[in-house]
Amino acid sequence: MPADLPILIVGAGQAGAMAAGALRGHGYAGRILMLGDEAHPAYERPPLSKSVLLDADGAALAPIHAPDQLAAQAIEWRGGCRVQAIDPVARLAHLGHGETIAYSQALIATGGRAREWPQLPIGTPHVHYLRTLDDARALRESLRSQRALVVLGAGFLGLEIASTARALGLDVTVIESAPRVLPRAVPPALSAWLAARAAAAGVALRLDTRVREARADAHGVTLVLDGGEQLQAPLLVVAIGQVPNVTLAASAGARLHAGNGGICIDAHGRTSVPGLFAAGDCASQHRACADAELRLESWQSANEQARLVAAAMLEQAAAPAATPWFWTDQFGLNLQMLGLPADELRYLTRGDEAVDAQAPRFLLLGIDGRDRLRHVIAVNAGAELRPLRPLVDAQVAIDPAAFTDTTAALRQLARDALAAAPAAATPHP
Amino acid sequence: MAWIKVAAQAQLGEEEAMPFTVGDAQLALFHSAGAFHVTDNVCTHQYALLTDGYVEDGCVECPLHQAQFDLRTGQPQCAPATRPIRIYPVKVEGGEIYADI
Repeated sequence: MPADLPILIVGAGQAGAMAAGALRGHGYAGRILMLGDEAHPAYERPPLSKSVLLDADGAALAPIHAPDQLAAQAIEWRGGCRVQAIDPVARLAHLGHGETIAYSQALIATGGRAREWPQLPIGTPHVHYLRTLDDARALRESLRSQRALVVLGAGFLGLEIASTARALGLDVTVIESAPRVLPRAVPPALSAWLAARAAAAGVALRLDTRVREARADAHGVTLVLDGGEQLQAPLLVVAIGQVPNVTLAASAGARLHAGNGGICIDAHGRTSVPGLFAAGDCASQHRACADAELRLESWQSANEQARLVAAAMLEQAAAPAATPWFWTDQFGLNLQMLGLPADELRYLTRGDEAVDAQAPRFLLLGIDGRDRLRHVIAVNAGAELRPLRPLVDAQVAIDPAAFTDTTAALRQLARDALAAAPAAATPHP
Repeated sequence: MAWIKVAAQAQLGEEEAMPFTVGDAQLALFHSAGAFHVTDNVCTHQYALLTDGYVEDGCVECPLHQAQFDLRTGQPQCAPATRPIRIYPVKVEGGEIYADI
């Protein structure tokens, strides 16, 4: 393949931008062309549901590359640009209006889009979806002019928006069809704890509640709940999940995962099509800790896959993907989750989980039937997650009594557990 | 810049941190990898105090989003931080730690 052809990155979000930087970090000196469909240079999405909604002047926005960095690293970025099709045999990307770009290797980092609720499609007046910076700015304006908000969905995004809206002084109702908040991410006990915390912050939580019908009019949205009750929402946010953007990859022949809909990639980020890689929210990858192919929608997973792809494109060695790690900031809490939940885990509590405390601080330690540490949730205790990381990485068995004794230093407990683990349990980075 | 007495050497164990202020400035004293370090205490990514973070091998990891900084240089070691924290000269005299703030 001709050396002067660019590496093409389709999508200028977390994964795309991090991959571009990682290619330079590996010493790649050829052209990098990054095409994004948004008008803005790459930025971090986590603040969109938090500080960006609170902040009037936009200072809360966190660019992935410092303003002078794109030029310094010779990363060619084009915004407002959509790739219509990729011909992986000829290695050509077709843009609209007849433009064609030849590439050496391509990364599909097309991310995802908000899952649309057919009853209130995107564009309905008084209804917001949140995925992009423009979405966040539009929602910010509405939050400033309204006194009440209804959020559909009690996932991370819905709860973070609810928390921010409460901080802005709005009346907030959250409707969730599942019987608990964050049903896929945390164990039931923590769902209940978080629900109490949200309620203490003044959020009206309607769990196990389905919306039968929705009507938008000049004053907002009227929701008819399953029981017949009507709810008026002058402002409504639909936060019911994400759909991966896989059309481009699929049309290029890349295999999709039948279960999660993501683009199947191997341990190095390669799709089933030669020369074509994928990373980020749109990609599905086997994760050792769950022994399953998963499409993880997370900042860290995007970064990790970007790192793997950059190394693989340049045929360099790379450490395997790190254990999944997520965070959320809501209702005065910083929650960090390391590893993944599983039905067979039971959770130990280390610390005091008083709901009404100003700054509660505790750990939930998820262990399996052989007492191996598989999942840790740190509530306002991010620093304590750190010494546990090698234990979760290697699924090391812990002594439940010792680890729930807060008079014993966690750092030493972790060292002892690691030292006592069989030699086979070597942590990977 | 002026040399300011921050703490007694015996106050801080290995891999420990201590916040302090000079005027409006939030600063941090670290004891790691056999040396004392003084830096700005606020993470350059988002507001969090690095003294609440995890200290090991001359680095501190922010408690909020796991950004890591080298305490000797102030340089970020990984995302999400892209900008360094400011570091200050440190000296130990007569069991007291001084920083040039």
